[in-house]
Amino acid sequence: LSLSQVENTGKAAASDVLLAFPPTEAEHLAEVKAQAASGKKRKKTYAHLIVEPTDVPDAPNGAKGFRLALHNPLSPGETTTIEVLYMLTHSMEPFPAEISQSDPQLVYYRDSAYILSPYRIKQQTTFIKTPSTNVQSFSRVEPTNRAGMELKYGPYEDLPAYSYSPVLVHFENNNPFAVVEELVREVEISHWGNLQITEHYTLAHGGAKLKGVFSRVDYQSRPSASGVSSFKNLLARLPPRVHSVYYRDEIGNISSSRLRTDSRKSELEIEPRYPLFGGWKSTFIIGYGLPLEDFLFESTDGKRYLNFTFGCPLSGTVVDKLTLKVVLPEGSKDPSAVIPFPVEEHMETKYSYLDVVGRPVLVLEKKNVVPEHNIPFQVYYTFNPIFMLAEPLMLVSTVFFLFASCVAYLHIDISIRKG
Amino acid sequence: QLRLSVNAARDFTLRIQRQNRASPHSPSPPPAAAAMASKPVTAPVPITWYPTLAVFMLSIGLLITASFFIYEATSSRKTRSLPKELTTGALASFFLGFGSLFLLLASGVYV
Repeated sequence: LSLSQVENTGKAAASDVLLAFPPTEAEHLAEVKAQAASGKKRKKTYAHLIVEPTDVPDAPNGAKGFRLALHNPLSPGETTTIEVLYMLTHSMEPFPAEISQSDPQLVYYRDSAYILSPYRIKQQTTFIKTPSTNVQSFSRVEPTNRAGMELKYGPYEDLPAYSYSPVLVHFENNNPFAVVEELVREVEISHWGNLQITEHYTLAHGGAKLKGVFSRVDYQSRPSASGVSSFKNLLARLPPRVHSVYYRDEIGNISSSRLRTDSRKSELEIEPRYPLFGGWKSTFIIGYGLPLEDFLFESTDGKRYLNFTFGCPLSGTVVDKLTLKVVLPEGSKDPSAVIPFPVEEHMETKYSYLDVVGRPVLVLEKKNVVPEHNIPFQVYYTFNPIFMLAEPLMLVSTVFFLFASCVAYLHIDISIRKG
Repeated sequence: QLRLSVNAARDFTLRIQRQNRASPHSPSPPPAAAAMASKPVTAPVPITWYPTLAVFMLSIGLLITASFFIYEATSSRKTRSLPKELTTGALASFFLGFGSLFLLLASGVYV
């Protein structure tokens, strides 16, 4: 989270602000959001700004740039306050890389004491908040201060553009490093009243790998001293009015799960068959059905659209690769997706129940998905309601064919007889 | 040219879980403004009717099938009338076809 006050010292009005990120951070960048604050302390209003990637002039060594478009151009001499939130995945490196069951997990975090910025900086301070008070070591770039869970670097005065000072913090972090390496979500739309969702997960523990043996006795008898960085359950937030929820893997049904529903949300708490320690993986499938009228709408121009949430329902996880397949009913045409962030799209065909030509499938793929991406998106398509009759008519004609063959058999004379 | 000035302060909360900000996004129907311009798409037949419809249509279809086969069995080659056979067959297949569709839908196979 970066809060900056920006002053225009040039001659012309400026309508954009540029941000830069070093290439190592840019690979792990999941999301950049910005807002402009106005008003005094208690009465701040925030206006969302659009962020787009761009080329940054004079950027050293492959730094990646983003452009923020301001609502009102900033005239010379004026200042404005901007808040930028950016999220990085896999930025903490476990060190030591392998730990035994009774060790706490320690990680490295690498960053810079100064923001990498295309502009000259008059004054800045960096605060780093760690999850616990146990910090093994941290680099000093004076003035540096540490108080409890917070490290303060700065304030630094008058820095030239693109200044960078690497900083390394080594601290204890026992929060569950739940990483979903791959998630394939399939949303099947049936105009007869149901939305069926099937999700295939590959879950891994992304922290320090477990070295040595896993002792179940130690794990269960002394939970505060054993396996402090492991995790054994996850929470999936599902929409309300969900039905037919199942949780299974290749072996079969996994019964260690609990579903709690109320009128505004449903929560599925799942426990994989074993607790996850560093380097361990688990694959499973979660499936559920939802009522169609909550998610499928008809817009004023006659097109139908699905309004659904992108992202992973498991809270507190990072997804390395998310594939979302929207299976449209047979006979749908012109599918298009409206999504607030960039994804890769392509089409496929799926053959399902009572299909002749197959159902069009719109496939959306995204890497580095964080909980900030759990926002609604829309998929528009055109569908002529007459096509819904195709399925019962197929069944009717099959049965009629049986009756007609029966009639034909009874009418045909195949006996061998004279004249 | 812009200069970044006073108080650029960066806050990091170093956990994999993100900070809890204002309100968590809930995957629920779109806000009221959008709903006024669009209406929800519902099934052509109310979903609660599916099992009842399945039972009634299948039983009517089976009754007509029975009458079809009784007609075939009790009539001789000379008294048989093709139009009557075909209409009975068509009616029976209509009811059986729709009945089996509703049976599939009622048992959760949303085709």
